[in-house]
Amino acid sequence: MTESFRMGAREGFRAFLPLSVGLIPWALVTGVAMRSTGLSVVEAVGMNLIVFAGTAQLGTLPLIGAGAPLWLIAVTALVLNLRFLIFSAALAPAFERVPLLQRMLSGYLLVDGVFAIGAERMLASEDRDWRMGFFLAPSAYAWVLWQVFVLCGVLGAGALPQDWSLEFMATIALITLLAPIARARPMMVAALVGGVATVLLADMPLKLGMIGGIMLGIAAGFAAERWQSRGPAR
Amino acid sequence: MSEGPLLSGGWLWLAFVLIAVATHLPRGSFIVAGRRARLPESLQRALRYAPAAALAALVFPDMLLLDGRLDPFNPKLVAGLAAFGVALRWRNPWLPFIVGMGVVWLGRL
Repeated sequence: MTESFRMGAREGFRAFLPLSVGLIPWALVTGVAMRSTGLSVVEAVGMNLIVFAGTAQLGTLPLIGAGAPLWLIAVTALVLNLRFLIFSAALAPAFERVPLLQRMLSGYLLVDGVFAIGAERMLASEDRDWRMGFFLAPSAYAWVLWQVFVLCGVLGAGALPQDWSLEFMATIALITLLAPIARARPMMVAALVGGVATVLLADMPLKLGMIGGIMLGIAAGFAAERWQSRGPAR
Repeated sequence: MSEGPLLSGGWLWLAFVLIAVATHLPRGSFIVAGRRARLPESLQRALRYAPAAALAALVFPDMLLLDGRLDPFNPKLVAGLAAFGVALRWRNPWLPFIVGMGVVWLGRL
């Protein structure tokens, strides 16, 4: 470990620390939600270790609980994770000349918060070791924090009463993710159209209505962006 | 805990693996492939709307449908809107859960 790796690690950790507090309720809720969907402790811990993605876990749990077809579960997870394609593309230059194994580990660890605090500074730094420290330290910390508090949720879930509609906490967790995104007007349009269309198409078989709703939402957001930038005369 | 045709045994683990693949392929994609690959600009811009549309597609039915039928006048819609408003207005990560669940519980009294 070089001196500049250590320096990057310190700075990355310090930048991510305040944001990391927000992971805690979300991790607890994910743990509780996995148990209240009917997963055993081993299954819940297993899912959390191999998937390690709050949004994808919370988003697919209702489908798992309803016994939805596997392909729909996979497609839903993929759609919820498409943002990582963009994050990954944006960060790629910062990982040039980094060994393959470290790049694969970095891919597994990539989460929204670290991208949010780190992308700009990582891309601006010329020092490869500093960049890796700056990325890996907060990412590893986020992983540990996530695993610990999900485990608390998983183990604590059994102590909670069953008739308190606790599964709605998963919905609230998704709403708190949606809120900051939906601030921008075209994003709000994408969300409204995607949500309403999914409700209206709810009768379609195999939950196809959800895929259709999402596609309509993406199209509407894209259209709203173009309409906003070209804009009719105000 | 819940009753329903939950996926079980091997199918459940297969579902986990599929979700993991659907997570780690996009995460690793360009970081692992390096600079050789690039995403077309227009596709990148359209994909920015995928999370918003997908999150709403998951959340709206939870708030608006009751046993598969449209039922807009229920405590969960009010709770969801309240949680959304709180999340927009304050940065406290606990508050949306407290307010949202509070409304759900109040609605059952």
